[in-house]
Amino acid sequence: MNEVREKQSNYRPLSSKKALQKTMGRYYALTNYHRYWGKIFRRPLAWVTSGAPVELLRAFNIHSAYPEQYAAIYSARNATVALCEVSEAAGYSQDLCSYARSNIGGVLRPDLAPLGGMPKPNLLVACNNICGTVLKWYEVLARHFKVPLLVLDTPFLPHEFTAQAKAYVLEQLISMANDLEKITGCPFDEKKLAAEMKRSREITSLWIETRQYCQNSPSPLNAPDLFINMAPIVVLRGSKAGIEYYRKLRDEVKQRAALAQGAIEDERIRLVWDNIAIWPQLFSFYKMFSEKGACFITDTYSGGWAVEHAPGTPMESLAATYTEIFLNRSPKYRANQLIKLIEDYKANGFVMHSNRSCKPYSLVQEVIRKEVMRETGVPGLMIEADMADPRAYAEEPVRNRVQAFLETFL
Amino acid sequence: MSDNNGQINSSNALELLLEEASLKGTYRMKRYPGKKFFGYFCSYFPEELIIAAGFEPLRLLPDSENSTPAELPGYCCSLAKGTLDMEIRKQYYDLIGIGFTHTCDTMQCLSGVWSACGQTKTVDIVPPVMLNAPGAFSYYLAETKNLMMTLSSLTQTAIKESSILEAIKLCAHTRSLVTEIDNLRSILPSPLVFSILRAGQLMPRVEYVKALEECLPDLKEMSSKNLHQVKILVSSAVLESDSLFAMIEELGGRVVADDTCTGYRHYSGNTVWGSVNPLTDIVQRYSEMPPCPCKNRSLNERIHHLTTLAKHRNAQGAIIIIRKFCEPHAWDAVSLAESLREKGIRTLTLELEGASVGGQERTRLQAFLEGLLESPDL
Repeated sequence: MNEVREKQSNYRPLSSKKALQKTMGRYYALTNYHRYWGKIFRRPLAWVTSGAPVELLRAFNIHSAYPEQYAAIYSARNATVALCEVSEAAGYSQDLCSYARSNIGGVLRPDLAPLGGMPKPNLLVACNNICGTVLKWYEVLARHFKVPLLVLDTPFLPHEFTAQAKAYVLEQLISMANDLEKITGCPFDEKKLAAEMKRSREITSLWIETRQYCQNSPSPLNAPDLFINMAPIVVLRGSKAGIEYYRKLRDEVKQRAALAQGAIEDERIRLVWDNIAIWPQLFSFYKMFSEKGACFITDTYSGGWAVEHAPGTPMESLAATYTEIFLNRSPKYRANQLIKLIEDYKANGFVMHSNRSCKPYSLVQEVIRKEVMRETGVPGLMIEADMADPRAYAEEPVRNRVQAFLETFL
Repeated sequence: MSDNNGQINSSNALELLLEEASLKGTYRMKRYPGKKFFGYFCSYFPEELIIAAGFEPLRLLPDSENSTPAELPGYCCSLAKGTLDMEIRKQYYDLIGIGFTHTCDTMQCLSGVWSACGQTKTVDIVPPVMLNAPGAFSYYLAETKNLMMTLSSLTQTAIKESSILEAIKLCAHTRSLVTEIDNLRSILPSPLVFSILRAGQLMPRVEYVKALEECLPDLKEMSSKNLHQVKILVSSAVLESDSLFAMIEELGGRVVADDTCTGYRHYSGNTVWGSVNPLTDIVQRYSEMPPCPCKNRSLNERIHHLTTLAKHRNAQGAIIIIRKFCEPHAWDAVSLAESLREKGIRTLTLELEGASVGGQERTRLQAFLEGLLESPDL
């Protein structure tokens, strides 16, 4: 079915797709059967935010599961509306993050959730470097499951990463390690953390290298490839399985670039994507572009995991790496980041997804759009949708805007 | 505003407070020509430092609920959209600067948008979100010191420690007077109290204190106690008008406990002074004041504080306001409503586009309050 859709979408499928399915399939199987092996191997299960310092958890043998990742799967499998309705009936406003609403819906009604929902956590770990929502969401989960909630508070950076912010985040990480010692009964081992960080850096380097091949024309990858292939770097950072997968992907993309094989046939327009994917429309939305020869050669979202680790001791590196992420920075910083992508990837334009569910990503986009257009001279399109909730997606107005935008390149 | 001797009497004082509350800072240059105002958005912006720098703190409130500046998407709260629109319309041209505190995601974003498209200088402070986290106090202190230096740079004059101490004492006195009024809620009309409290965030501080001192004895004498009124707790983000409070009162309710950003929460908590470094006292106050939903002192502290407050004030019902697109309050609304109901306090959650209530809200409020008025348990 997927292959049929891919052919219709003017796509060149990746042969590493099978390896991806195998890698992620194993991860989901392990996660969903955690209750059978977690206690035996003394590996607690943590629900963590996508921007949490997972290397520290891995150093304590904690198995991590990602509600945001599951929420994307719920959406791709058309379960989001039913799950959101459950949480809305429980009182959560429809204006709240659709990842959070569908996750809470899955907690309250696992029978409606793909994969049977998420297995119950032993602890919760949130880092507010991506938004303030995660704190409120995880507070709800902590009250529901009555398990410990560990929060890493990474101050927003209007300008630079200040000395006081560094000291604050570092002190919290040390305290978090103490809490994890108590929760797991394992002593903190800095060497083990260093080893996890090393593997994490390797995965990051592979992901960076893979993405850089998209600077070639035609680009060997398009946005849906980037979104689908980012899954392991989110959930398997620091793992050998993740490294093995990204080596395969890197080799294939490198070969495509050498052979000048584009992700789409007849690439004519090179675009940059800004914001989280529109998961429920992953193929149909991007098909509107690919059928006109427009390829998304890079993006800011999956690029969030393509950032070199900061230097220093393992704890210092964690503190800086997780505080300095782009969503925790000013619009000026983000505009410069987008300008650099447009220049490095020789893009002809950019598309911004004004995502109702993600305010930190979206509220500043219009001022960024204006600045990037002014600085680069390339056009930028804004379309309003939602990363997971299809009720916020109006197909016809979006199609009209996309068509009008693409016509400017004729 | 004053009688022939330059003194304001009680009636004039009350009139002044109500006038300032309704003007929401407009005509400030005409009314107080010698004053320099500094705008701010959130109660976590330390007003002591604004005053110590020689400025008057002015809470920025929108003049319309329907503004749609192109720089913000439609799914953004009307507080952010309305105030940004006022900046674009040059309504804040006279302000020395505008202070942003990192509380919710919207405020964080608004600061960046404002500095990109506005004319007024923006000043940021990023307090810790986890107020009891290890290292939070030292971090908060360093941020406060940076803020002090930034405010000093606006006047090219260093802020003296003695000025900070004076400002702390002035704020402590203000909070103590406001607390006296808060304690009179059961005998005072709800919109009157809410207006008086809002005025304190919109007019020069010394004038506010004078007016409060003048009218407080008469307010204590004022008796509109109605035993048949239902005692209500209200929790909300910013409310820039008395519309909700007036409707509650009209429909037989009386707000006896106020947890709104522009109401008593702004003044609540202890003010301390006497430390070697007065900034330490400021940080202590803001770290320990009853938290808003954007801050966390422990998992259930806010909910425990509000359920205790409701019990202490004998509230029979609670109204939780979710201002459209205000995520932190929307998140807390569910757990808060559950906890209040568990304590036997009936709770209504009401979503508002802005601060005003209309026919639809009247119907819901009426049904809720009638149910309480007719309840045999109450």
